[in-house]
Amino acid sequence: MLFSSVGFLFRFLPIFIIIYLMFPKYRNIVLLTGSLIFYGVGEPFFVLLLLLSVLVNYGFTRYMFWEPRYPQSNRKKKAARRRKRAIILVIALDLSVLFVFKYWDFAAGSINAAAGKGFLPLLSLALPLGISFYTFQMISYQIDCYRGTIETRAGLLSFATYICMFPQLIAGPIVRYGEVAERMEGRRVRIRDLENGLKLFTLGLGLKVLLANQIGTLWNLIMTAGAGRLHPLVAWLGAFAYSFQIYFDFWGYSVMAMGLGKMLGFSIPRNFDHPYTSRSLSEFWRRWHMTLGSWFKEYVYIPLGGSRKGNGRTICNLLVVWALTGLWHGAAWNFVLWGIVFFLLISLEKRTFGKWMEKSLVLGHVYTVLLIPVTWVIFAITDMGQLAGYLGNLVGYHREGILVGTTQLVRYLKEYGALIIACVIFATPLPVNLYWKWKDRWFVVLILLGIFWWSVREIVLGSNNPFLYFRF
Amino acid sequence: MNRNKIRTFLEIIYNCPFVLLVIFTSVVFLIFFDGTEGREDGKNVAALRMIEEKSPAKENDITDKEEQKEDSSIVEEVQKPKEQGEKDVKNAGTRKENTIGIKKDLKCKTDNKSAEISGKQEKEKKHATEFVEYTPIETDSRYYSDAGKIALTTVYDYVLENESYFNDAAFLGDSRTLGISDYAGLEGADFFCDNGMTIYKLLEDDGVTYQKTGEKVDMKEILQEKHYGKIYIMLGMNELGYGDTPMYLRQYLKVIRQIKEWQPGVIIYVMANLHVSQEKNNMETEFNNININDKNVASARLANGSDVFYLDCNPLFTDEEGYLLAELTFDGVHLYAQHYDKWRDFLFAHGVEREEIQQTEGSGQTETSGVPGDS
Repeated sequence: MLFSSVGFLFRFLPIFIIIYLMFPKYRNIVLLTGSLIFYGVGEPFFVLLLLLSVLVNYGFTRYMFWEPRYPQSNRKKKAARRRKRAIILVIALDLSVLFVFKYWDFAAGSINAAAGKGFLPLLSLALPLGISFYTFQMISYQIDCYRGTIETRAGLLSFATYICMFPQLIAGPIVRYGEVAERMEGRRVRIRDLENGLKLFTLGLGLKVLLANQIGTLWNLIMTAGAGRLHPLVAWLGAFAYSFQIYFDFWGYSVMAMGLGKMLGFSIPRNFDHPYTSRSLSEFWRRWHMTLGSWFKEYVYIPLGGSRKGNGRTICNLLVVWALTGLWHGAAWNFVLWGIVFFLLISLEKRTFGKWMEKSLVLGHVYTVLLIPVTWVIFAITDMGQLAGYLGNLVGYHREGILVGTTQLVRYLKEYGALIIACVIFATPLPVNLYWKWKDRWFVVLILLGIFWWSVREIVLGSNNPFLYFRF
Repeated sequence: MNRNKIRTFLEIIYNCPFVLLVIFTSVVFLIFFDGTEGREDGKNVAALRMIEEKSPAKENDITDKEEQKEDSSIVEEVQKPKEQGEKDVKNAGTRKENTIGIKKDLKCKTDNKSAEISGKQEKEKKHATEFVEYTPIETDSRYYSDAGKIALTTVYDYVLENESYFNDAAFLGDSRTLGISDYAGLEGADFFCDNGMTIYKLLEDDGVTYQKTGEKVDMKEILQEKHYGKIYIMLGMNELGYGDTPMYLRQYLKVIRQIKEWQPGVIIYVMANLHVSQEKNNMETEFNNININDKNVASARLANGSDVFYLDCNPLFTDEEGYLLAELTFDGVHLYAQHYDKWRDFLFAHGVEREEIQQTEGSGQTETSGVPGDS
């Protein structure tokens, strides 16, 4: 089930909220059951995988802190060893499940291609929804437990609820247990929380449905014509369109999660902080998908030694983090390339011009605004040949003549001009600041109501509607 | 106590106007429109009814009884496969995956065969649109049934043409035709097309964009004012989930008859809708090649080999199972820009010369003969 669907908005959510409010004593049970239904509707088989993962992970945490009843010699030493064993095993297990479902075909295919024959079978498994997110969340919990940074470890119900809770199950943010631990054990939902949560949710819904989905059709239109024979300006337009699409899609989803969290009495951390207004790529990554960035920093970069073990080691650590960040986003070479590009640019920034860029008012913005769309193109196009063609088009290189030229450009601009302006405005902090300033005014309430119903209209008329295609 | 209750109630209203407004408007919508899906359904049914009501009336307008008979037989025939399909229900399930493959195998063979036949019995076979039959599968949809056959390009002595052939041509269609307009390089032709165009919307007031000016135009006026030598129509994708195939055919027939009335002596090309890729092919919805083929077969029935011709471009772009080749498309529906060359060459290869029509049609067409149109 997606947040932006009629089934969620008008069936699941109202029924769930009513039951949730009716039984304040059993909130975790209600939330867990609701989340499993939410997940199970779309993934009737993988919900079992999710449950199994939760149980196994919980078992490992118990094992990690298991205290034998009878006295033992060198008890502390044994306990430390057991903890280490448990944490290594559980992380390996979690990652191997992720690997089998997400990366096996990619790895096997690459090895087969390198070897020139097919000795590794391809599994062609479907990817369980949200597996990258919940696996990382479980690993963060295990490591936090191992390190002892969690004061009271979760019981089975709390743990299962924490992993499965539907606001952040399928697309993050990656919430750390410490951030919600207090609320897991008992939470109050005030009437203001419902109001503010629903407002936030509506805002996110609008970002996803009215901005991301709409601008996405422009990118689709340009890609439909085909990469490789685009006029440079068309290619840039496409790159910007995709940058907006991915940002508003993801940001919208995160804001919806925050809103839902609020309605349920949680405070889910912010995931985006106007990344497109950054002045360097390092800053961009401090503001883009913040929970993933801090996950990699906390659990990979710093344990590897961070930047404290000399320059060579720092570069090496950065490379590992960025290659993994790339791979986390998808199992294909273009994602690895995408990660590596960030690695190169960010290490370059750190060594040379980064500080300077972040100080300058204009240059830093120009630099990020031009470079980030290029990185998104690498992210978007999985086929290496096409990717090379598109990147060539961006700088005006064409192997064959231009097919999509100024005529189409004018048509695209006419059709999408207003939307592009709206996207640019929403990429700045202005609308959000105004929202926080005026959020309780009556006209904001009316605007939000308009956004809500306009989004619903788009959802019903769009792909969710089997009756009206009218898209070709 | 009572006062307290009122106070909490007022507090709620004061504190969460947005939640209450959303709930209130939702309830209003639920009551008046009978649920969101029901609402859409209702709209759709109303639209269908409107079209249904319109079409028989239009058919009565036409005085030519023979044509009318022909029409009703065409429509009836389209409805037949549905019944056949229902009879085949018992062993259809297992065949589902294989049939499409069989279909295209058949197609390849018969393509060769028909070429041979046309060589031998040129004159008799000249005007025929051939159908290759296969066993239809069971479909459970109110939008389509498996046609049980594939229509081939109308057999005819086509002439290889060049770009000047299209100087008096008009193309009417949806986004695929927009692709031809953009990328096939047929500068001389007039393109009237839009994303989402349907056979139902085609003749509406200000319904279509004229690609040379980018403005919405009234197709009825254009067709009455400007004379075209040939008109290419390709519509059917946006009709996949809108009305059933007989309804589509009725409307198509109406459009063609209207065009013939306004454009005496015109050559009409009914172009097959391009299939979609395997990835995009979805048997759960109406969006699949069986449905597209159903629409194509229906429209192919309109071809008579004298002034209406059916062109099937699918063999150019599909694999042996009838799926659009994945490497030719980004979204599984539209060709990449560079592949429209092939389509253009296909159109070049299917020119119909006017003199031949005169011979086969006989009298009645002389006043328009040789007129290349005033474009």
